[in-house]
Amino acid sequence: MLVELKNGETLNGHLVNCDTWMNLTLKEVVQTSPEGDKFFRLAECYVRGNNIKYLRVPDEIIDLVKETQAQNTRDNHGQRGGQGGRGGHQGRGDRGGRRGSGGGRGRGRGGGDRQ
Amino acid sequence: MEGAEPPTLPPQMFTTSAQLLDLTDKKLLVALRDGRKLIGVLRSWDQASHGKIITTKRLNSSDFFLCLGFTAAANLVLQSTVERLYVNDAYCDIQRGVFIVRGENVLLLGEIDLDREDDIPFRQASVEEVFAGQRLADAEKKHKDKVHRKKLRALGFEDEGEVLV
Repeated sequence: MLVELKNGETLNGHLVNCDTWMNLTLKEVVQTSPEGDKFFRLAECYVRGNNIKYLRVPDEIIDLVKETQAQNTRDNHGQRGGQGGRGGHQGRGDRGGRRGSGGGRGRGRGGGDRQ
Repeated sequence: MEGAEPPTLPPQMFTTSAQLLDLTDKKLLVALRDGRKLIGVLRSWDQASHGKIITTKRLNSSDFFLCLGFTAAANLVLQSTVERLYVNDAYCDIQRGVFIVRGENVLLLGEIDLDREDDIPFRQASVEEVFAGQRLADAEKKHKDKVHRKKLRALGFEDEGEVLV
């Protein structure tokens, strides 16, 4: 995935872990300067969430989220039950899981606000 | 505030999550604080806890109401995103795919009227042309700023340094 920071730097790497603050750890990172003229290769890096402008992820993620969401509703009817643990998975499953829970929360609260 | 109905505030005062719900699965224009314009389909969002109190109101002597307006600090997921670049009367689109935008970087967002989206006073140009135009405009702006700062300095104003962005 690609992470662009507020200062314009970009980080291209594989997501290892993330938390609810959007703090990220990435591995096999290519860091690009804001002007796009300097490149650095980092084995691993940690990004504090508040420095992030946006993330770009592969298109397949959207389908993966749908799958994971369907899977989760099948697995645990209680919905909330599985979410805490999901952050610990590695690789692709983790990414799908995080966005999945994000989407779920958004819609839920949206309903609440309208009342 | 017992018994009394809380006053209804004009709905346009807030960008609430309810409004985001209405925009879900719609084609949106999202302008970022760095000047970028993204066009994509809003697929998901959350309400990050960066809400701000935008007004506090005192109604009568005994009652205080906090009008909690949560500014749209929601993180957004955009699908099939294109970045639209403008220079003079030309524009171009660059395919960018799936975007997860951190809410605090959003300047404004709005739904695109699909019937009128092609009805714009700009002509579509090649990416190369727009890039070249932007480089030219940047250089011109830089030069202008330089002259401006020189004049200000001559008048005794402190130099604020080169303007970024």
